Amino acid sequence: MSNAKTKKKRQVREGSFGLYTGFGMMGLLILAGLIFPLISKYDPNQPGLVPMSPPDGKTFFGTDLLGRDVFTRVFDAVFIDLGTALVGVAIPLTVGTIIGTLLGISKNKRVNSLVGSIIDGINAFPFLIFVIALIAFIGPGLKSIILALSLVNWARYARIARTRAVVVNQQGYVEAARILGFSKVRILFKHIIPNVSSETRAYALSDFIIVIIAVAALSFLGMGSPPPQAEWGAMIRDGAQILTLAWWPTIFPGLALCWAGVSVAFIAEGLQRRLREVNTK
Amino acid sequence: MTQLPTDIKEAETKDRNKLALRRMFLGRIVRSLSVSFWVMVIAFLMIRLSPGDPVRIALGAEATEAAVTEMRHKLGLDTSIFSQFYHYFTGIFSGDLGMSFFSGLSVTNVVGTHLPVTLMIIGMSILLGIILAIPIALFVALSKNQIATYLFRAFTSVSLALPGFFLALVGLLFFGTTLNWAPAAGYTGAFPGNLHFLWLPAVVNCGSLVPVLSRVLHSSLMDTLDEEFVETGVIRGVRKIRFYWSYMLRPSLAPTVVLLSYMVGVMIGGTVIMETIFSLPGIGRELITAVDSRDYPVVQGIVMIFGLIVVFFSFIGDLLGYLLDRRVTLS
Repeated sequence: MSNAKTKKKRQVREGSFGLYTGFGMMGLLILAGLIFPLISKYDPNQPGLVPMSPPDGKTFFGTDLLGRDVFTRVFDAVFIDLGTALVGVAIPLTVGTIIGTLLGISKNKRVNSLVGSIIDGINAFPFLIFVIALIAFIGPGLKSIILALSLVNWARYARIARTRAVVVNQQGYVEAARILGFSKVRILFKHIIPNVSSETRAYALSDFIIVIIAVAALSFLGMGSPPPQAEWGAMIRDGAQILTLAWWPTIFPGLALCWAGVSVAFIAEGLQRRLREVNTK
Repeated sequence: MTQLPTDIKEAETKDRNKLALRRMFLGRIVRSLSVSFWVMVIAFLMIRLSPGDPVRIALGAEATEAAVTEMRHKLGLDTSIFSQFYHYFTGIFSGDLGMSFFSGLSVTNVVGTHLPVTLMIIGMSILLGIILAIPIALFVALSKNQIATYLFRAFTSVSLALPGFFLALVGLLFFGTTLNWAPAAGYTGAFPGNLHFLWLPAVVNCGSLVPVLSRVLHSSLMDTLDEEFVETGVIRGVRKIRFYWSYMLRPSLAPTVVLLSYMVGVMIGGTVIMETIFSLPGIGRELITAVDSRDYPVVQGIVMIFGLIVVFFSFIGDLLGYLLDRRVTLS
């Protein structure tokens, strides 16, 4: 018995590699985003250095067309990029989960089929096209990106939540809570939503990767933050115009973006395997 | 001659299959039509999101009152919302998607000229994606090597997390400037010549398409491998090509085909960015130009067309998926 136990302890748990790598990479990025802009002797948005000078010992990532330090700008953008993406996932996750759950447990067929049709309609549009179109009507900017992402993505979460809520609503523990005479609101928020949201939160993690890239892509297309704010997509947009003359203003923000995406991908993959391991036990 | 019981049974199941097929076909058509209707409604309502008067914003602050009134009348914006929707809805069926604010071209015209390039890029990406994904998935599924599976997982999940627009720029820098294999700009419409301009965008699109396709195909191949008939095939010593196709791929393809139709929507998004980067005269670049100039009718028309295209492809995909594997039960 004791032998088996020690063996189990020594065994690496499923998905650990992905989780450690992912969290490690993300932690490094956040740390760099905190520290480097503070200790850097250059202002991220203030031109003044020699324009387009290649990476060297003083400016590690070189300077851009306007003579700003690319190194400082790349790490100054960490919180803008990750923060926008985080809010852009959190809002549709919350709204979609609540609406989807309410649809799943409601008995009103008319409302159900009407909202269901609207959800199907929204989901039919190609994600990025729909977001771009909405920004055309609301106007550019990071806030618009978040608003547009929320208006589009809640429907995907709602669809997942509705399917799940129908199942959860029939479970024994919900029935038990009803018999105990708990209020409807309490059953909804304490018993149904937590069980529904485990599914939507899992989706949110993989959605986070898509949204990080989408935020940068939209800025790249000129729909994001106005200059001089350092933001990866906008930096790549500026750099792309002089790509053949200087590669560094484009490549370094791009690599930072890849780093962020890959770290979330590792976390998602690790978590998925960990959950599968828990489920099969 | 009397029918044997087994014959009757066979005939019955055949009838039932036919009936199920017809029912599922009709159900899918009704569903697609209803989703298409909502796509039109949403595209119609989108213009109302703009803060303030869309006409005034589009024409600029210096526009005279008379010009604004005239434009509004021309667009039919001075009537009630229901009559606007009626005109919009009936217009779609007669091929009238409205007029551009600025160029004076009809939106149908804009879509007609630029859509073929976009569809060509998407078609090429899908073709290339299938050609790459099938051997990769087959190889990983058939190799009993744990490391191969592990590397496959790591590579696919990493490559899914890479931004396509950045890869396109890196590709342009490498293949365009350094190697001079791909042109940075320009385009000729004729068929074999335009491949020279389209191959790099298609390759970049495959960066996200191949991982998704090969992952799903790999997991259905693993399921198929557990089936007894695969073992039968091995024991009977079926020829290699027949084994790969009839015993492995055909029973595994259905989920991949359904996914492929879903990926059309994702590809459309990626292609918009590719067209902007490679200056290709597709409909995506037209969309970005319209967004920049606030040409609302063009934006609205293009978005609606893309929505309908996605609905159409998911209908076809579901149907093909069902025909490939009758075991699939559709929701």
